[in-house]
Amino acid sequence: MKEPNLQKQTASNPAEMERTRNRKVYVPRVDIYETKESIVLLADMPGVDEGSVDIMLEKNVLTINGTVEPVGFPEHNLVYAEYDTGDYQRAFTLPEEIDQNKIEATVKNGVLRVVLQKAEKSKARKIAIKAA
Amino acid sequence: MAIRRFLPSLWGAPTVPAGQESVPPFSALQQEMNRIFDDFFQGTNLSPFPAAGGPAWAFHPSLDVKEGEKEIVIYAELPGMDEKDVELLLEESSLVLKGEKKFEKEDKGEGYHTIERSYGSFHRVIPLPREIDLNKAQARFKNGVLTVTLPKLEQAKEKGKKIPIQSA
Repeated sequence: MKEPNLQKQTASNPAEMERTRNRKVYVPRVDIYETKESIVLLADMPGVDEGSVDIMLEKNVLTINGTVEPVGFPEHNLVYAEYDTGDYQRAFTLPEEIDQNKIEATVKNGVLRVVLQKAEKSKARKIAIKAA
Repeated sequence: MAIRRFLPSLWGAPTVPAGQESVPPFSALQQEMNRIFDDFFQGTNLSPFPAAGGPAWAFHPSLDVKEGEKEIVIYAELPGMDEKDVELLLEESSLVLKGEKKFEKEDKGEGYHTIERSYGSFHRVIPLPREIDLNKAQARFKNGVLTVTLPKLEQAKEKGKKIPIQSA
């Protein structure tokens, strides 16, 4: 059978964490790219806004958590479904070169953007060579 | 050999070989079975709102459709897009949703570690039942989720009339 082209996948084991809300949990799809100064993480989390995303940093594990409240009218019947509303959760291990005090996050149109600045010491530097 | 006929036909060709149509006892049942297997294995045929072709990795919005007494509501997940990137066309019997999710490239010298999100243009046609009031359709975009509300026509709500049964 052809694999359906789903945009989000349910979490197999939601980030090794016991949950207190009886909701579906999805693993958001992410893009991660690196520039000279930072590492940028973009996560597709449709339905979340800046108030419903939590980002936690514990040691070197960055956990993103998004909650989505069901939209629409509860009395409506679901007649066709390709997705379902649910929470988002995913954890990332950060490399040591990240400056943990300089993490910025924004949410726009259901996409979370986390900018992780590289620590000064790990940035590429030119080493001056002294004459002997 | 016989089991082969029950397997899905990859090329859409009839699976019953010519010359065997005259076998009477179970041929009708067998054809029906073949059709069910074909539909099942070609998974996408089952989708009531088929997506226009395109590679599997291309962006393809997920839809949910909910129905209430007064309206039909269509939800589409379009993360990273805004109302300018999406076009909605309401035709007589269908709703067309199309747009493009662009790959955001910012500055030079960046290297990607992971690309899981998908990009590209999409085009989806959602067939509508006849009882929709086309003039009262509304669409809203919030946090990457598009909501299209399609109210039902007045007369459609009171469909279904009870017929009294008289005793002879």
